Amino acid sequence: MKEYRFKLILILMAVVLSIYLLYPTYVDYQNQKMINKIVAEKENEIKAQDPKISASTLDSKLKAVEDSIKNADPSITKMKLKSIKLGLDLQGGMRVVLEVNTGKLLEKLAKSPDDVFKRVMAQSEKEATLSDESVVSIVAKNFAARGIRLSRYFGNIRQDDKEIVSDLQKDADDAVTRAMEIIRNRVDQYGVSEPTIQRQGSRRIIVELPGVAREEEAKQLLQGTALLEFKLVKDPEFTISVMKKIDDVLAGTYAADTAKADTNNSPNSKVAKKETKQNKVASSDTSTKQMSAEEFAAKHPFFTIAMLDPKGKTADAYVRADERDKLQMMLNRPDVQSVIPDNIQFVFSAKPIGNQNGQDIYMLYCVDKNPLLTGGVITNAVATISPETSAPIVNMEMNSDGSADWARITGANVGKRIAIILDGVVYSAPVVQNKITGGRSQISGSGDLQEAQLLAIVLKAGALPAPVDIIEERTVGPSLGQDSINSGFNSTLIGFLVVSFFMIMYYQRAGTIAAASLIFTILFILGFLAGFNATLTLPGIAGIILTIGMAVDANVLIYERIREEMETGKTLKASVDSGFSKAYSAIIDSNITTFITGVILYQFGTGPVQGFALTLMIGLGASLFSALVIARVVFDYMVAKGIKLTIG
Amino acid sequence: MRIFEHIHIDWLGKRKLFYTISLSLFLIGWINVFVRGLHFGIDFKGGTEIVLQFDKAVNVSTVRQYVDNIGLGFVELKTFGGETGVLVRTESQNIPPSIFPKVVTQIDSAIDKIYPGIPKTKIDTTAGSITYAFANPDTTNSIITQLLNAGYQAGKVSEEPTNTQMVVRVGIADWIKDNLRLRMPDNHFQIIKEDHVGPKVGNELKTNAVIAIVLSLIGILIYLAFRFKFIFAVGAVVALFHDVLITIGLYAALYGVIPGLNLEIDLTVVAAFLTLIGYSVNDTVIVFDRVRENLKIHKTMPLEELINQSVNRTMSRTILTAGTVLLAVFVLLIFGGEVLRAFSFTLFFGTITGTYSSIFIASALVLEYANRFQKKVTF
Repeated sequence: MKEYRFKLILILMAVVLSIYLLYPTYVDYQNQKMINKIVAEKENEIKAQDPKISASTLDSKLKAVEDSIKNADPSITKMKLKSIKLGLDLQGGMRVVLEVNTGKLLEKLAKSPDDVFKRVMAQSEKEATLSDESVVSIVAKNFAARGIRLSRYFGNIRQDDKEIVSDLQKDADDAVTRAMEIIRNRVDQYGVSEPTIQRQGSRRIIVELPGVAREEEAKQLLQGTALLEFKLVKDPEFTISVMKKIDDVLAGTYAADTAKADTNNSPNSKVAKKETKQNKVASSDTSTKQMSAEEFAAKHPFFTIAMLDPKGKTADAYVRADERDKLQMMLNRPDVQSVIPDNIQFVFSAKPIGNQNGQDIYMLYCVDKNPLLTGGVITNAVATISPETSAPIVNMEMNSDGSADWARITGANVGKRIAIILDGVVYSAPVVQNKITGGRSQISGSGDLQEAQLLAIVLKAGALPAPVDIIEERTVGPSLGQDSINSGFNSTLIGFLVVSFFMIMYYQRAGTIAAASLIFTILFILGFLAGFNATLTLPGIAGIILTIGMAVDANVLIYERIREEMETGKTLKASVDSGFSKAYSAIIDSNITTFITGVILYQFGTGPVQGFALTLMIGLGASLFSALVIARVVFDYMVAKGIKLTIG
Repeated sequence: MRIFEHIHIDWLGKRKLFYTISLSLFLIGWINVFVRGLHFGIDFKGGTEIVLQFDKAVNVSTVRQYVDNIGLGFVELKTFGGETGVLVRTESQNIPPSIFPKVVTQIDSAIDKIYPGIPKTKIDTTAGSITYAFANPDTTNSIITQLLNAGYQAGKVSEEPTNTQMVVRVGIADWIKDNLRLRMPDNHFQIIKEDHVGPKVGNELKTNAVIAIVLSLIGILIYLAFRFKFIFAVGAVVALFHDVLITIGLYAALYGVIPGLNLEIDLTVVAAFLTLIGYSVNDTVIVFDRVRENLKIHKTMPLEELINQSVNRTMSRTILTAGTVLLAVFVLLIFGGEVLRAFSFTLFFGTITGTYSSIFIASALVLEYANRFQKKVTF
């Protein structure tokens, strides 16, 4: 027994680890089933009340229901993050490849585009659709071919073509960064869970939006232009007085609200009950400190979530990332809306300003609803290091119209703060130091150069939109995704049964061992996928099924070899030993060749195909472990104990 | 249970027969490739593909009748899955200019339906979008919301609060959907899949696929040359070429022959080809592994006899391992659903040719080489 100890521990560890890693997936599956049921009931309810409800209103209402369930129990989100991720082809969603339209960007940058310019641009754009060369160099080449200097349209007269090309290239590059920032910002606000936004190559952006039901809206979201606004931040006294009013309204109706939730949303009551049960457990061993925290929460529901810094000079509230939605819902309630003055609004910071106990903290600002100025007037924004203070700053320039307004605005608001808002979220809220005439402003206060660069990007978004085109789009509806999951699951099960049946028929007891180790192989694959946060796609499931067929290859090689060895008159033990050792080289060689193609497939494939390559590679590793370690231990044990071992 | 035990068949003596079989399979396939051509999916050609799921059963010919006269030229239609699924595909990238006025009229009438007789001006029309201007921002926003709800891709031109302009984007897919919605009002549909691939992306994907296949062949060549002898590696890789080429030929020959089997080369099919390359070399390795072992034991045995013996000894395991994979792939072919059908088909037939070539082609090539150059292969 001693000789197997190490192997046994290894196997046990692998099994326990796999089960541990898969547990969240199981829980998540149960949670999702519960949520779907509640949402479906709610949908029928809403449809019954208002049969003519528009699809987008229905969507947003159902989303709110789902969010409230998730908010009530944070473990749902936690489990979701740890479970096996499903690819877009299985859960439904959109994958969009966007390309920044450099041609359009150049048209916007050009000083005085005439007919010649337009003709050259049209020609260049046509060439660019099929060429890998950058649009800027194609345009430069086409102008050069006509003997026109680039300085006629871009840059200034003293610059030569080479300089201008490199400047334009930089502008084109900036546009991609800007487009990415705008898209990220919007997707965050649109409320898509787990979006991915990646840059690919020089001017492409890949956006993956799981579970987007309304593709028209999503496409519009990605291609639309951005709005940059400057809004006055309300002074602290005013803001705190409004917040107090909100707090009172919420505290006054708080008890009635929970009662309503319990009786009205009968499907919800299960969650609510679960919550109260947890509260009871918590309160049975409470200290006085916890009690007071709960009391505070009851009395000041708003300030519990939107925390103010008692020592701070501003009334910017701190909000935890997981409570943003809750706060937004509070603010949207009609009774709360009635105490908020019409001309102000609450807006969040675009990025978390810090981190507390692993939770991102966002800032909540109170600003005037009407903008002082919109971003169309900005002509340029550059992030640099200030020569005087060596702190990162952003230099912003405006056109003459904007400069006049800006002088008036800054003059009237010295000492106050102006929030820079892109698509509804605040990127910075600097204090106006003095009246700015001439349109050149300097914004300091960025934490580091990176932050300053982001602000410059945002400011430029107002000046120069980054036009993007959709060059590839793949949408899978949720129903097809579900069909794929079902057929994938069924095929895996049937594949497993058929192959196992065959192995048991052919190799009898040894075949049973092979079939059993097949279960471990599948378990390891799934455990690995969950543990490494890999994505399971439909071709990925195909990879698992294929692995089932290929996994027993190693067993077959070993068993055939053992049979041969036994025919030479060796004892069972000797045959098992030499059977395993002689089969090694063939098993390893054949698996490595498959692995090589797996690696290449992973490198060159996209999305679903990568998922296939991944499960194929994991499957190879797992099946080797099952055949060479697990099956071996069982064989050795049976031989040592004298248990009858039949291999057909 | 045992199969192929203690067989003593002179496979290599019959190698001319196998060459003939392979050559004729190859010729049948590739004559088809040249005459009928290979059919690529939109992944490689570029274009738009929509799969619609209707509420009630539909007849493809009915849908065709609606789609044929919307001015997109050739539009391909197929059933997808059951009776209610229809796949619509076109290679066009943009709406042809000739039918653009029709598109504009349709959007105009959609706006009129919302606010009859509202004053509007058309500011700009490009190949894929129309820009309107209305009297004030509120009207604009309201029209945008309602058009969006009606399924149009409408949006604001700028987010400035004073914006009065609206842009409606019309892609190929939108145009098809809008028309079908209009003409089949009593049979609603859902979009269950929509793919759009630009021409440049299609070309890139094609190049990547070829590079991937070539790279994996090179990878295998290097690995096997390192583990065995270079000539074994060549034999294995030629056998792989054989498998891939014959399976491609089969694609061309069987295209449209088997009803319900949509044999188009798309990304997943390329993945299947790569898997096939990786897997089919397995069987070759098993035979070579035995040849390598026997070469060490029987140093004086003639190569032909030695290879024959190795093939015979490994026959049952080769058939068995291929058999279990075929079982699994067959399950996938039957139960794996519409999306994976071409993928499983490739693997199914690829595994069969792969096993055949491992046994009869790869080792025969090693023998041919040794005979021609009077070389002695040793380890």
